[in-house]
Amino acid sequence: MDMETLLSYEWSMMAPEFTILIIATVLSLVDLFTDKKVDRKLFGWFGAAGIGIALIFLFSQIGHEPAMILANTYRLDAFSLSFKILLLIGALLVLLMGVSYEAKGELLYRGEFYYLLMSALLGAMMMASSADLITLFVGLELLSISSYILAGTRKKSTQSNEAAMKYVINGGISSAFTLFGLSYIYGLTGSTNLADISREISNIAPENGLVLLSIAFILTFVGLAFKISTVPFQMWAPDVYQGAPIPVTAFLSVVSKTAGFVIILRVLLSVFPFAQGLEANTSLLQSMMIFISVLAGITMIAGNTIALKQRNIKRLFAYSSIAHAGYLLVPFVAFSEMMFESMWFYLAAYLLMNIGAFAVIQVMSEHSHSEDISIFAGLFYRRPWVAVMMTIFLLSLAGIPGTAGFIGKLNIFIGALFSDPSRYILAAVMMGTTVISYFYYFGVMAQMFMRPSGSAAPIRMPVGVTIAMVFCAAGTITLGLFPGVVLEFFQTQFNFAEMFY
Amino acid sequence: MLENAWLIPLFPLLSFLLLLFFGKQWKEKSSYVGIGFTGVSFLLSVIVLFTQIANGSGGADMVWLTIGQLEFRFGVIVTPLNALMLVIVSLVSFLVHIYSKGYMHSDERLTTFYSYLGLFTFAMLALVISPNLLQLYIFWELVGVGSFLLIGFYFYKEEAKAAAKKAFVMTRIGDVGLLIGMILLFWQVGSLEFNEIFAGVSGGEVPEGLLTLIAILIFVGAVGKSGQFPLHTWLPDAMEGPTPVSALIHAATMVAAGVYLVAALFPVFEASPAAMTVVAVVGGFTAIFAATIGLVQTDIKRVLAYSTVSQLGYMMMALGAAGYVAGVFHLMTHAFFKALLFLAAGSVIHAVHTQNIEKMGGLWTKMRITGPVFLIGTLAISGVPLFSGFFSKDEILLATWYDGRYGLFIIGLVAAFFTAFYMFRLFFMVFTGENRSALSEVRESSRSMTIPMVVLAFLAAFAGYINTPRFGTFLGDWLAGDSEFLPFEHHEGPVWVMLAASLIAFAGIGLAYLIYYKKSLQRDFLSSHMPATYTLVFNKYFIDEFYQYTVEYAARAVGYLGSFIEKYIVEVIVAAVAGVTRAAGSLGSKLQSGQVQTYGAMAFIGLAILVFLVVWTGGYL
Repeated sequence: MDMETLLSYEWSMMAPEFTILIIATVLSLVDLFTDKKVDRKLFGWFGAAGIGIALIFLFSQIGHEPAMILANTYRLDAFSLSFKILLLIGALLVLLMGVSYEAKGELLYRGEFYYLLMSALLGAMMMASSADLITLFVGLELLSISSYILAGTRKKSTQSNEAAMKYVINGGISSAFTLFGLSYIYGLTGSTNLADISREISNIAPENGLVLLSIAFILTFVGLAFKISTVPFQMWAPDVYQGAPIPVTAFLSVVSKTAGFVIILRVLLSVFPFAQGLEANTSLLQSMMIFISVLAGITMIAGNTIALKQRNIKRLFAYSSIAHAGYLLVPFVAFSEMMFESMWFYLAAYLLMNIGAFAVIQVMSEHSHSEDISIFAGLFYRRPWVAVMMTIFLLSLAGIPGTAGFIGKLNIFIGALFSDPSRYILAAVMMGTTVISYFYYFGVMAQMFMRPSGSAAPIRMPVGVTIAMVFCAAGTITLGLFPGVVLEFFQTQFNFAEMFY
Repeated sequence: MLENAWLIPLFPLLSFLLLLFFGKQWKEKSSYVGIGFTGVSFLLSVIVLFTQIANGSGGADMVWLTIGQLEFRFGVIVTPLNALMLVIVSLVSFLVHIYSKGYMHSDERLTTFYSYLGLFTFAMLALVISPNLLQLYIFWELVGVGSFLLIGFYFYKEEAKAAAKKAFVMTRIGDVGLLIGMILLFWQVGSLEFNEIFAGVSGGEVPEGLLTLIAILIFVGAVGKSGQFPLHTWLPDAMEGPTPVSALIHAATMVAAGVYLVAALFPVFEASPAAMTVVAVVGGFTAIFAATIGLVQTDIKRVLAYSTVSQLGYMMMALGAAGYVAGVFHLMTHAFFKALLFLAAGSVIHAVHTQNIEKMGGLWTKMRITGPVFLIGTLAISGVPLFSGFFSKDEILLATWYDGRYGLFIIGLVAAFFTAFYMFRLFFMVFTGENRSALSEVRESSRSMTIPMVVLAFLAAFAGYINTPRFGTFLGDWLAGDSEFLPFEHHEGPVWVMLAASLIAFAGIGLAYLIYYKKSLQRDFLSSHMPATYTLVFNKYFIDEFYQYTVEYAARAVGYLGSFIEKYIVEVIVAAVAGVTRAAGSLGSKLQSGQVQTYGAMAFIGLAILVFLVVWTGGYL
């Protein structure tokens, strides 16, 4: 590659990534040369400003023709744009939470927290924009390795150390699975470029490649299931979520999970719809859907039932987040024309309600130095505003009408019923498990409204986390009452057919 | 005006929000905010009602969201049924707001109480003007949330917490039915707008069998909300909430939402004779079943709660027997007299500080307003001629008679007998005889509590005259008048039905009078002329030794049979479902050992199973 080609690339396409990269680099250097005693809080606001700039770049790219640079490894299309918006907003909110995170003596190396968050975000963005298995994997590992360290940033806490350890071991296993699966794909098609793969793969005669391709599919999916924490790769989530600092837990459950769905969609949809399936005129993807459908069902059931037993609020939300990953697989299985819309909207809703809930959890657990659900006792009578916002998040997570979560579930539900073939069994499982989920969400609500409050000490509301909370509450309600605004924007601005080559 | 009907629910919502955010500063003044805003809603509802009568139905709507090719709309609709419901809900809510000012005045969480009331009123008003099922469902759920919060208002009492939870879970079971029914309907018709559903159903777009299934599933939702058998158990427990709440939510409005749902979707039900039978039979069974339980209760609010269940069953029975007007008519009269009875009961409880009717007595002379209004309510619910309940009950009995459901007709008569009996038992025990209360001095409640009762007493007495055989069937003509989907024929019933209903009512009152008022004189009479039905209404406190050994056990058996079914069958099923769910949860947590090796192994085993399946089956799973 000579200089001329390099210069001829439309580098502005990568402006959001560059912004994040620059911020991460600057932060790590400044951190290195600044005295230990200096408060690193400013880093957080600096990072937030950086994400803001990246978002502006991103919005200016909306409507851009699909294009590729760097020898067809980086791709700008509606898919990457729309999901990067979610990743950036999610990371921004997590950063705001992080600025306010004050648990005593826990974050000794606060600077690290900020620039690792940036590098993790950069990895996630690369995953959304990559059009090549190699860069996809590099993005995935950048996100993963940054997250491993983030989970262990409470250096003095054994729980946090344990979380990081478990995360890194399970992550290693999952990467091995993923790579193994990708290597099959490479072996069968002779290319790592997704565009080439999708061309080559349709030429493979079923009698030769079907079994190998099926195994490749299963391996890749199971490996990537780690990132979205679905069965059979969900067991790490509760332990890691519990041990990690709360902003990191929020990051893992929202941004990292969104990135997981992005890579699943990107890889599986670029490769398998074009491979010949078991029967004539079906694709391998359709033939394999039954497996994912079973896994999604088990995930929803496992997540929601085990959550019933939890007293630790972070563990409870870990199981809740497993269950939500199960819901999110439903539109993928249904594979209707509204799939992208349903998944994107649900992820957006999930981002708002889950980060919002974690923001409240952060405030409350810092206040009472505990993570038991009883920390919410009588919240309504101490801080009615906070209790009302938490109620909004819980109602939305439970899928009660008037909130974003309801519209998201409705969307998924209709997609599953009206797809061809109709996935009504999965839709029924989703509805049944949603009803189960009422119990644990309402358990928290009952604490806030129907228990006498334990202490009367004023609850500190730092500015960063308050902004995140209010933004999420407003967003949850807005998307719940006027979903048309966002959906219409989505339908007119993003054309997902661009995703295919 | 009709297109602006959406303003009506907004005022209580505003009250809710204002109290939520500024209530702390306003303290006792909160009640004025609540009363003022619901008062405005009531006024607007009346205007809407008269506009509807003068100009016919109307409404407005707009596109709310588009999913794929499917469109969901949001708006308001005002038909005779909606307009009537608006007035009932806003009026009762307004009166309860006023009443609560006196009843709750010493509660330090008065502001919270009023804000919850506002939330509930908002949801309920919005529910009754929804022009489509999705919107109705949204507010249906919100109403449930409001009810949950208010039942658990005294959360420091364990019973209240348990009751709130139970109410939420039981109604949720019904809601799942409603949701599935809704989805199936949507699948078939392609729209959730009432008008399009009716057009689709009458156009034969839905196959007969499926239509029956849909109607029954929707009815399951109504069963949960309206406390019909077997999902009724939450309603008596819900009496743990403050008494004004019982009057508003668990007597007049929310529990009637199930009846409203069936009425609003009446054309769908009517298209399926099987579904109509289910509605009628479940309603009829509930009517008599709950009435028998009402006979043996000693808690004043529980008697009224079982009575509510029974009366709602009556309404369902009417709808199932094609008595659209009869059902809605009874819904209206019941809202007035049952709200009245609850408010009066609250006034009594407020005065004597107990809910046990055996610790009351002789209050007639001490409560000069509560006593008479309670009597009016009792006369109305018992179906004494010339009071409102008489006309609506008569209409229901006629409907079952003309529909050829003679079994239900007889059940209706028997239930009416029980109703008259247990209501007058209540009246005599509370207001006559000697004072069994521990308190020496009992005073009448304050003005803010008595005025709403007087207004309701007036309505309980006279509201029946808008639909009578003699003075014209204004209500019936109006309700069914402007819809092409609602057939209405008023039955000029045989006079003997009306006579029989009156006689039954008097018989029940008479029996109660003999036992609970003239008790010392009549013991011998009863012991020697024991009618078989008496065993059903037997109560152990007013009979001598002899009866204790002859009929008491039989009477108890019948009276408690209902409680038994409730305790050992219905609740066991509920517990079993919960148990299985919990067991799955424990199994899952056990696997979560904390050993990272286990986690890796589980992932690997999962992968191995999947790969094995793919290879073994060749992918054909």
